[in-house]
Amino acid sequence: MAEYPDELISDLLRGRLSSQEIGRLQRHDKDVGRARQVLRLEQQRLGWADRILVLLQEHLYVVEKADRSRVVRCDCGQEFGDYRRNWKEAALVRERDGSAGQVYRGPRIADPDWTVLREFYCPGCATQLDVEVVPSGYPFIFNFQPDLEDDKRSAP
Amino acid sequence: MTPLKEQLRERDRRVAELGQYEEKLELKEGDPIRFELLYSKIVQSVTSAHEVARLVSASPMSRELGEIIFGLYTPEGDAVALSRGLLIHVHTMSRMIKWMIQHDYEDDPGFAEGDHYFNNDPYIGGAHCPDQMIVTPIWWEGELVAWAGGLTHTPETGGSEPGGFIPFARSRFDEGLFLPCVKVAEKDRIKRDLEVLVERGIRSPVFWLTDNRAKITGTQMIRAEVKDLIRQFGAGFFRKACREYIEDTRRAALQRVRKVLHPGVYREVGWRGSVMPGSETLLHGPVTMTVARDGRLVLDYEGMSPAGKHPFQGTLPTIEGLVMNIAIQHLFYDLKHNEGVLLAVELKVPEGSAGNPPSIFYPTALWGITYGAGLASGQAISRAYYANGYREEVHATSALSTAYTAGGVDQYGRPFGAHNFEFAAAGLFGTAVMDGLDTAGVEFNPEGEMGDAEIWEQILPPVYLAREIHVDGGGYGKYRGGNGVLSLYLVSGTKDIDVGGFGAAPIYSAPGLMGGYPAGALYMWIGSRTNVRQLIAEGRPIPSGEGEDPAYPDFVRMVGGHWELIPGHNRIGRPAREGDLFTAMTGDGGGFGDPIERDPELVRRDLENRVTTAWTARHVYCVAIDPESLRIDLEETERLRRARRDERKRDGVPAPEYKARQRELLLRGELAKPAARMYRDVLGSSEAFRREFCQFWELPDGWEPVDPDREPEEAA
Repeated sequence: MAEYPDELISDLLRGRLSSQEIGRLQRHDKDVGRARQVLRLEQQRLGWADRILVLLQEHLYVVEKADRSRVVRCDCGQEFGDYRRNWKEAALVRERDGSAGQVYRGPRIADPDWTVLREFYCPGCATQLDVEVVPSGYPFIFNFQPDLEDDKRSAP
Repeated sequence: MTPLKEQLRERDRRVAELGQYEEKLELKEGDPIRFELLYSKIVQSVTSAHEVARLVSASPMSRELGEIIFGLYTPEGDAVALSRGLLIHVHTMSRMIKWMIQHDYEDDPGFAEGDHYFNNDPYIGGAHCPDQMIVTPIWWEGELVAWAGGLTHTPETGGSEPGGFIPFARSRFDEGLFLPCVKVAEKDRIKRDLEVLVERGIRSPVFWLTDNRAKITGTQMIRAEVKDLIRQFGAGFFRKACREYIEDTRRAALQRVRKVLHPGVYREVGWRGSVMPGSETLLHGPVTMTVARDGRLVLDYEGMSPAGKHPFQGTLPTIEGLVMNIAIQHLFYDLKHNEGVLLAVELKVPEGSAGNPPSIFYPTALWGITYGAGLASGQAISRAYYANGYREEVHATSALSTAYTAGGVDQYGRPFGAHNFEFAAAGLFGTAVMDGLDTAGVEFNPEGEMGDAEIWEQILPPVYLAREIHVDGGGYGKYRGGNGVLSLYLVSGTKDIDVGGFGAAPIYSAPGLMGGYPAGALYMWIGSRTNVRQLIAEGRPIPSGEGEDPAYPDFVRMVGGHWELIPGHNRIGRPAREGDLFTAMTGDGGGFGDPIERDPELVRRDLENRVTTAWTARHVYCVAIDPESLRIDLEETERLRRARRDERKRDGVPAPEYKARQRELLLRGELAKPAARMYRDVLGSSEAFRREFCQFWELPDGWEPVDPDREPEEAA
């Protein structure tokens, strides 16, 4: 149950490991302290006063603010509201039927009668946070609602 | 009640009441070395069977591609140990053994030493007609102590189209020859009359028949080895150890989930589509995964499209196999692979859905939506790993598999029918830390091979003009999805051949993750009345693949003739002539993360390796690079990326505004038929999805979508 040095895990988070090093991490027994270690490293990197509770996905974190509220925040600082509500409700949305040939070309463009691409951007930094493959009219997919141990409050 | 049936009932009671397979792990704790030694010898026996048996078969599927797996089972049919290979079928033979026990096979026809039972009925076990398994009982001093089993995927089943993957099957009766739990050998001798049934029942019987010999060879090897092990370790030790291996896995699996996955509720959606003419329907494969704090993992497929008259649905054993397959590869890879995995996971598959059809008449030839939902479950697991910082285990979705089928008279003058199966080397998913591997594998058979081109040319008449990495196939992302294969075939050596293909629907084929794009739609090109033979005779250039522009590929540009595009890759076999060309592709993996965060150096490397194009480098990755010198202009790259962010802010609309517009569209009933049929089917069959849907769009109770198939007069 190896615990890894901070440098190695930082390199993992920043995509600086070789495929051999990644392979080694995959093969070894998982280190139990990883979640805590990664939260600590990300907290240091971002320098936020508010505590990060969980890594929701690329660029998005659940943080606890001074008023005890727990919100989804992008690493650019943009906030998306209570973590129990889908962050996509506070994002910029662009539905792309692909026919303009901006991303795919020729027969690789799916038939928009079947599925379209729905892109979600951060209103702060315009990072593409998610791309849903859905038919028109599909509800936003709420990908992850973390179960935070000490949260007994009712949903918003 | 027969003794085995009693034993199976007792097993079910034990699991239900205790929540455990075995109460005490006395051997593991009391004699751990002997315990592990026996397990390693059992694994050796199933692995040896796998390695030897594949060489007995004449089917390229078993021999070249490794679509074959062996296992050892308890008397009640629970998997104890499995070989490597076709991992999705870890559970299907278990289902078959239990089915025979429940249906009193112990009394009639009986389970004698040397009996070999065959099954390819997916409602008993398996995914579709080509999945064929043989099990044999292992007796010791008058007691049935275990079962040995082997499974292969055969490339021809005698269905309405050649090759077993029947993209337009309307019922089970289009899929080919089913032999549900039939005794095919007694006293270890194959029954001749059943071989005649196969010889006269399908197009290319050699694959099926030699696969049977391969499986019987393998199961006999396991049987002999198990008896040897019982002599060494004692029957009591063997019996108890087999039960403890399962419980050991169950406990370890729970512990693993607790350790590596973040508790919470995860939601993903997989899609496939039925392309039945006149009733094209998108198929919905959602999964809600709950990771409980105590390590319980619940996978709920509520909201899955109902079953229909198309082959893109699967059976309950299929979805169980898929979940075990995904869980073993992504979570429990280093545990003992057996029934304990499934005991640690709770599955909920709605009755009547396309993952649990209401009767055996629903065809399952392409079991697509169960595969879509299964892969979506892998994405949910990835998110749960991500939340705990285990980035090395996070990935997008792997490829949707496609290939061509052909039938007629082969280059040797014999009737034939089969599918190609290069898709065992599709593009893998992009991950959170590196690109997906090109031409690497598929999740249902992680060690599968694509087979040598020369072998496929021996089996099927078309010859290869090209077999290339599908340039830009993988979904774009910070880490892109792996590119699959695109092959270009020349029809040759036969005057009687139908060429078809199977795939899904013209949908994005493998979803991306956390900002990554999906792999594009799949397609097939067919070129008839071409001048390729003339080009060859004159020594002029011939195409070696798709080239730089998928909208106007090299083969269309360089070879004259009539070219037809098949979006979605599904085509009923139609006659082809010598000199015709066609393509087939294996599918590509989904991408991970925002593409404009991709390291420009990775884009340069891809250009150098000719696996991406200058167009994509500039338009998708926003990297300014000279296509000749491959020199990157970092300043211009920065400017392009800033411009892309500005464009997103300009074209993206705030979610509430977007929702208001979409709601209007829904209320006006402005949905295309494939999507509208899906909503109608799912809203009509799943109360939970209806609630969620109406709540999200703020629709009144009882809201009904417009029936897309209602005649205009009727609507008026």
